[in-house]
Amino acid sequence: MNQIVGIADMKVSNSRDDVLVTYSLGSCVGLSLYDPVTCIGGIIHCMLPLSKIDAAKAQENPMMFTDTGVTTFLQAVFNLGAERSRLVAKVAGCSSVLDDKGLFKIGERNYTVLKKIMWKNNILIAAEDIGGNASRTLTLFMNTGRTTIRSGGSEREL
Amino acid sequence: MNSRPQDILARLKDVPALPTGSARILQQIQAPDADIPNLARLIEYEAGLTANILRLANSAYYGCSRTIGSVREAIVRLGTQRISELIVSVSVAPMIQQPLKGYDLPAGDLWIHSAAVAIAARELQATLGVNAPDCLFTAALLHDIGKIVLGGFVETNAESIAALVAAENLSFETAEQRVLGVDHAEVGATLLEMWNLPPAIVEIVRWHHRPESFPGDPLAVDIVHVADVLCVNSGIGTGRDGLSYRPAECSASRLGITVHTSETVVSRLLGGIDTLKDLFMPGTGR
Repeated sequence: MNQIVGIADMKVSNSRDDVLVTYSLGSCVGLSLYDPVTCIGGIIHCMLPLSKIDAAKAQENPMMFTDTGVTTFLQAVFNLGAERSRLVAKVAGCSSVLDDKGLFKIGERNYTVLKKIMWKNNILIAAEDIGGNASRTLTLFMNTGRTTIRSGGSEREL
Repeated sequence: MNSRPQDILARLKDVPALPTGSARILQQIQAPDADIPNLARLIEYEAGLTANILRLANSAYYGCSRTIGSVREAIVRLGTQRISELIVSVSVAPMIQQPLKGYDLPAGDLWIHSAAVAIAARELQATLGVNAPDCLFTAALLHDIGKIVLGGFVETNAESIAALVAAENLSFETAEQRVLGVDHAEVGATLLEMWNLPPAIVEIVRWHHRPESFPGDPLAVDIVHVADVLCVNSGIGTGRDGLSYRPAECSASRLGITVHTSETVVSRLLGGIDTLKDLFMPGTGR
């Protein structure tokens, strides 16, 4: 079944029939996790790097922020039975408007925070398609762990 | 296809007029001596509009404790600024809800983007603690209205526009200007002029990608520009044009935008969009 992951949202699954997709990743960060042995995984779509910008919002919806969201997401896939050492992590998004002067660095900051959390959790990033000024759609096929990126009218494997 | 600006502007006449006398009502509201009983009468001629105003005025969003039973009461309780926002939102919502092939926007996405920019503009104004003109929300909501006309031309010329954006690192509206001779901001402003909307709104829409050239006090256009940049950057309602827009340094520095300001505003977008969606698009998904 197709499951849409909205903005500031996550979906985890252990069903091989599921296809998870998140649309229009701009400066937001999209992370897919997949355990190829158990076929457990998911996608999260976070908007902003740090929850300290609004602690009440983070409490209400931790997925809005990369720091609280990715931590919650990891816990959710572990709870379903995924094994940390087998997790395949792929990252998409973190792009930006044509910001030559660096006025709006939300994408870059999202990526920095994500890398820190993944490093702390001992999970390597297997592949990434980030930066630039593209809007990306990230899809995860739960039967094989295949991930694709659609951007600017073309699709590619990640 | 070689489109010329005059061919594109000629297409404006195919766009439905702002329905049900809304423009006339908006003109009345903007007048310094707006007379409430008179305004209420004008609105009451329009049954659909009256029903919508009463529905919205009684919604939780406007937080009135007592039931509002008449248009006159709604004007007094909500104020003319809120009423004009309601009229514009109700009137343009169906137009900007259509899918836009040229910009690769599925049904509803231009509306989501427009609503997001209106919310962001209001949040920016609040976060910065500045007093922008009353028309800020309406201008923000209408900023990309030109896309409903330009979409067909962008579709026919999509490859040339995309190639130009990629080759010269151009902002999308600059590429539209180079390929089509006119961009969506200019087309939008011309459409709003045809609808007889107040010049303050028309000019903000016209200059929202070039605030450095805005004639007059730039506060409102700076806010709409930055609000648009923040929403595009977040990928809210972006299509073929993606994130290919260039923020104007002058707006960011005039407003004193910091990382904290922009992230605070972005964190408030989703809740605001949901509220507007419930109000203006009841029963729509995604």
